[in-house]
Amino acid sequence: MNVVEIAGLTYTYPGASQPTLKDISLEIEQGDFLAVVGNNGCGKSTLCKVLNGLIPHFITGDLTGEVRVAGVNTLESDVGALAQKVGYVYQDFENQIVRPTVLDDASYSCLNYAFPDYQERGRRALAQCGLSGREEEYVWQLSGGQTHLLALAGAVSLQPEILILDEPIAQLDPLHADRIYEVLRELNEKQGKTIIVIEHHTEYIADYCRHVMLMKDGGAAWKLPTRQALQRVEELEECNIFPPQVTQAACRLKNAGFLPTDSPLPTTVAEGRRIFPVPGCLPRQNPPSARPPEPPAVSFQKVSLAYRSVKGEPRTIFDGLDLEIRQGERVALIGSNGAGKSTLMKLMVGLLKPQSGKVSLYGESISDKKAEDFSRQISLVYQNPEEMFIKDSIRGDIAYAMQVRGVPQWEERTDELLERFRLKALEGRDGRLMSGGQMRRASLAIGVALEPGVLLLDEPTANLDIATRREILSVLEDMKDIIQTAVIATHDMQLVCQWAQRIVVLCGGRVVADGTRDEIFSRPDLAQLVGIRPPEIFTMAQALCPGALCYTVDEFTNWFKEAQTHAKADE
Amino acid sequence: MQKRMNKLSENLLDKFSMEFLRSQVLKNAYGNDDTVIAALDPRILIVWYLFFGLVPWFVDALPFLLGCFLLVMVTTLLARVAGLVLFLFGVGVFSQTGYLFLATLLFGGDASAIAPLLVLTLKVATISLASVTVFSGLDPDRLSNGLMWFGCPERLSFSISYAYRMLPMLMEEFQNVLLSYRLRGNPPAHETFMGKVRYLIYQIRIIMESFYPLMLNTAKRSRTTVEALELRGYRYAAANKSVKKIKLAALKVSYNDLLFLAVSFLWVAVSILFCALL
Repeated sequence: MNVVEIAGLTYTYPGASQPTLKDISLEIEQGDFLAVVGNNGCGKSTLCKVLNGLIPHFITGDLTGEVRVAGVNTLESDVGALAQKVGYVYQDFENQIVRPTVLDDASYSCLNYAFPDYQERGRRALAQCGLSGREEEYVWQLSGGQTHLLALAGAVSLQPEILILDEPIAQLDPLHADRIYEVLRELNEKQGKTIIVIEHHTEYIADYCRHVMLMKDGGAAWKLPTRQALQRVEELEECNIFPPQVTQAACRLKNAGFLPTDSPLPTTVAEGRRIFPVPGCLPRQNPPSARPPEPPAVSFQKVSLAYRSVKGEPRTIFDGLDLEIRQGERVALIGSNGAGKSTLMKLMVGLLKPQSGKVSLYGESISDKKAEDFSRQISLVYQNPEEMFIKDSIRGDIAYAMQVRGVPQWEERTDELLERFRLKALEGRDGRLMSGGQMRRASLAIGVALEPGVLLLDEPTANLDIATRREILSVLEDMKDIIQTAVIATHDMQLVCQWAQRIVVLCGGRVVADGTRDEIFSRPDLAQLVGIRPPEIFTMAQALCPGALCYTVDEFTNWFKEAQTHAKADE
Repeated sequence: MQKRMNKLSENLLDKFSMEFLRSQVLKNAYGNDDTVIAALDPRILIVWYLFFGLVPWFVDALPFLLGCFLLVMVTTLLARVAGLVLFLFGVGVFSQTGYLFLATLLFGGDASAIAPLLVLTLKVATISLASVTVFSGLDPDRLSNGLMWFGCPERLSFSISYAYRMLPMLMEEFQNVLLSYRLRGNPPAHETFMGKVRYLIYQIRIIMESFYPLMLNTAKRSRTTVEALELRGYRYAAANKSVKKIKLAALKVSYNDLLFLAVSFLWVAVSILFCALL
């Protein structure tokens, strides 16, 4: 039975000249777990808002064609009736939580639709989403992952047949991301809910979803079972969707003649183990990079910090933290949500002051300086680019710090930066109105305007699709000449492996590991402790040969080819 | 000495950071839900407040006012009101009447001015503390449910609880925007007296300029909230009478409420008796 039937859907936003959705015809079966993939701006979110009736009942515009959801024509229904059939979790899910306590929020919809047993329903939804026992907590006590689960519980409480999630794991660490998907799988398998996710992370699609739909320029290109869909490597890459690393590697090896042309491409590590022939085990060792120790750029000595909390004792973030970041290093700061990564960065720029201990910048204690004084030495790019936009145009924002300091030729410098970050065409726009990738580029340009010696980036790739992510990465490479020392706080292990020379793992306010990627990822106890996970391709190589250390698809294919040739030569 | 002064002024500034304000607002709204006052029925408290918020205006008898004042002081203590609110209360009362006393002394008056001023001060203080007890002792949701029972429109009561939900978010956003200015701005040097004045003007200007990005960021965030409210049936609830009934079904007058009313009543009766005796 089809739970969604769309025929000839075309939709144009009010005031837009081009339709956002073009002639979409689609059927989704009851109980499906569907991933919708596509470029930024190809109409994925718009399509989902058509399903829950926000379009055209709340957001008007020009809609033609027919949309039937659970047997109901959305044009003839209203948002309220549809909301009980389709649950929706936004990408910025924290803004959809409107009540102060967990149970209140989970049961809010049921109360509004006048279910007398609203609290019971809320409780049941919380249990389904794995939040039992937290009913009385306040929403700001929850971590990011738990807040997402709460938003999901709010949608589940009405017991809709369909659940739609817009990029559910974009801001979460791998452990929390797994939690979300496990909950979704349970809702799908045990409760028979149809689940639709908009998702960039193809590794998760391969593990959890049954079907994949590709959207291209407002149209539905195809809908296929997951395994078949992810095999279409070239077509996906064209749309800036990157198949799982295992699939990418197999595709390249196949093209290079190292795999038989008729074998299907693997999409998960388990499949890869079956398909890749075990190469002669040639442990790949990355040469240890011995560098003379540079003088420290930032150092923490016995730093302790606690936050005031609404109730009870202050929450301790750091207790006697020692850490040194040396000049010229590229450091990745990793750890689960709430491990203290952002706090550490705020300490470095003097926005927070430690209760005891000392933070020094280039050998001088920063507690003696004001934040304004050392903005030329160190700069922080926030996780939310919006918060860096304080002027009404990008140009004004980039120029601001140079202008108020009277930096000679600040106007030329601004032009240069606009050029370098490809923002020239947008210079008059307000930063908030740009796309995710453009905002991120602009925030980087603002961050480097004063040419600081140390650049701190908080989650620079969160919420970005893979293409934009690559672009940010190349910008980072590009800035090597300006920025000596850089620190990135991130959950993105592919970024960590490609970029960082040194990895610092934070857990519970302590540095639990500190070293190169080889040192960090070859320790299984760390993965257990802090829930970090190496990139999929690393796991794949390890599964084939326990000594292999490959972090990127390129490294893997090279290692595989080498090992194969080696094995042939031995025979 | 200079150093200590610097330290002190810095500490004061630290105390009044946005983060402090935010935690105080949260504390005030939700941090004391386990007090005696918070457990009372909101309707009883609103009736109670109507008495202590209105009657003192019309009575001049000192023992009665003193009695009321002592009572609301006790309830304020019971409600465990956040420090910042009490501080503002102190400043408020002083600015209402305390300065009048100073002015009287300055222009040749003597201590005899105390009595009439004391009456006024007691009135203002009693009414303020009664408000503080009710509005910060109760969490916003219980308060708005109580108001709804008395027939206030649903939109008003939703606005109260939603404002409390939004306030910490707004302050966080404001704090972040201010931090951007702090990191990228270039404030005037403030060692000399003139420098300090310029610095103050600079800070005020920054706070004013921060409102533009603050409003835009909040507007951007509330786009999702508005859609989510629609999906979550906010508009349907406002039109549906049975929702109100379900909401108010949770309100119950308990033994404690009656005890609270009885104690208040007795206390007021005793103070009126004192008035008659004197």
